Amino acid sequence: MDPTRFPADYSVLLSGPPGVGKFEFIVSQLREAKRAGERTVFVTLDLPPREIRARANNLGVDLEPIEGRTFVFVDCYSATSAERLETASEKRVYTVSSFSNLEGIGMALSKASQELGTPVRIFFYTVSSLYLHNSAAAIAKFFQIVTGRVKANMGFILYAVQDGVHDPMTMNLLRSLVDGVVEMRFTDSLDREYRLHHMRGFRADPSWRPFVEMPGPAGGLP
Amino acid sequence: MTASPTLRTRASTGIQVVDDRLHGGFPRPATLLLFSEKPTDKRIFAENFAIQGLRAGERTLCVDFYRTPSLARNDLLRFGKYPEDRLIFVDALSSSLLVETREKYAIADLDTLGEIERAIVDAIDAEQPDRIVIDSMEFLTDRFAKAAVMETWRRIVEACRAAGSVACLLFLNWTYFERDLEAIRTMSDFVIEFQSSMRGGIVRNSMRLSEIAEGGLSTNWIPYAFKDLVGVTVYFPRILVIGPYHAGKSTIVQSLAERAISVERMGTTVAFDYGNVNLSGIEAELFGTPGQERFEFIFKIFAREVSGILLVVDATRPEDFPRAKHMLELVGPRIPYVVLGNKSDLPGALDPDVIARKLELPEGTPVLATVATDGRGLKEGLRVLSEMIIGVR
Repeated sequence: MDPTRFPADYSVLLSGPPGVGKFEFIVSQLREAKRAGERTVFVTLDLPPREIRARANNLGVDLEPIEGRTFVFVDCYSATSAERLETASEKRVYTVSSFSNLEGIGMALSKASQELGTPVRIFFYTVSSLYLHNSAAAIAKFFQIVTGRVKANMGFILYAVQDGVHDPMTMNLLRSLVDGVVEMRFTDSLDREYRLHHMRGFRADPSWRPFVEMPGPAGGLP
Repeated sequence: MTASPTLRTRASTGIQVVDDRLHGGFPRPATLLLFSEKPTDKRIFAENFAIQGLRAGERTLCVDFYRTPSLARNDLLRFGKYPEDRLIFVDALSSSLLVETREKYAIADLDTLGEIERAIVDAIDAEQPDRIVIDSMEFLTDRFAKAAVMETWRRIVEACRAAGSVACLLFLNWTYFERDLEAIRTMSDFVIEFQSSMRGGIVRNSMRLSEIAEGGLSTNWIPYAFKDLVGVTVYFPRILVIGPYHAGKSTIVQSLAERAISVERMGTTVAFDYGNVNLSGIEAELFGTPGQERFEFIFKIFAREVSGILLVVDATRPEDFPRAKHMLELVGPRIPYVVLGNKSDLPGALDPDVIARKLELPEGTPVLATVATDGRGLKEGLRVLSEMIIGVR
């Protein structure tokens, strides 16, 4: 399969250590979706929306023209940080009061999808932050329910997860609950590589490939 | 502190069909368990419940583990203005956000179950509020040992009862098993279950109310929606108005609806009539289908997601009744329906009981005499249908 294009009703876990380029990978996905005119949702637990806009912009992807039209944020970050909430006069942002509010996150996804229209591509950045505030058992059930709901009614979802901060049981459970896994890593010389670990229903090549600096011709993926 | 004037009245939900069956609202004291197994929009019901109380002059105490009081207060403005001075918060978040609380009550340490319980129970004891909302209990079940949480739960319920309050305890069950849930249910007087699903890209919410006491009230799934500045209403996304040619279906849709459109040609409906109805806390989308056989394919398009049916017959034309019966069968079994014997003001119009007999309707099927041209009987017909759908009739 084309490693840059996942099916429209599919779930993917993107794992890698901090700094390896998971955010860049997602931005490359946003760029491809933008080119194809697809609708996208960015669920942020780690950064405020203004920082994501700026960082995407630095990577050559301007979210401004599509925001509120084919792209929206679900902001689970700002309400519990010192961050000022983006007010109603700005672009429509779905705010979740806290990332311990799993129910609120689940419903915000549904509402964002309803507003944009389905199918959508949802990018969840990152699952790891959920573990700071909720029990592993609750997250596992949340993860399972949300993935099921997205695939049945909304479309595609990619969850980013930090490698090396969760125990192997947790990682294996998360991996078992999605259709496909993309792994990213540093080489000994600190070059970056990625591979498609498995992709349910597809013959995926699991060999490691270089992950080049963005912006690249296909969004960082050669 | 002034004593509430409302203690003897019941705690209305603001949803009239539900309140009617509760003889005006929930008795005091009462513990309501707002329960779901998956993410739903039950918070909006709890907020609506708080707003209803505040507007009725009641004092409401809120504990919110996910929102700061200022954010929660601000969110409530979606319902429009409300008397803010009657709304009391137990601030659960300031301590963990390391900011000074501006509330009278606060939880000093969110990592200690005993401290959480003490702060909540003290506030309830001191304020004796009319209504209480705790959002939500899974915050506790997800963080502390089960046995301890169950004890805390029991003591909070006891405090609510002792204060004579109607308490809403929200609970999304991530991790508990059936026997734990059973214990939680038995601590409650009413369980309101919530569901949220997505159909055709649209989020649909529904709730189901049951009284724990034997022989108590229990309803079917009640679809509901939220509207800015209005609140929670019962919402039927699709009620079909069916019946033979020229029975008066279009006139009924137009008469009931605030806004209606009709796709018609030379006085007869060729595609469908559509009308949006708002009637004492019930919102419904009415779809009138054409009566002629050549348009039967339309039924298949509309048959999905039908909440209920208004079957319209011309009370002066019993020769059309077999056709009416046939149309009912086309939509399918088990969907609640009410028969409207229309044109009941015309000479020769049959009485409802005669219509029922000639249509060979099952015992108890409601048949109402209506006059579509002046609206007579229509609202009553829709009300009866709503009660049947909700399961309170």
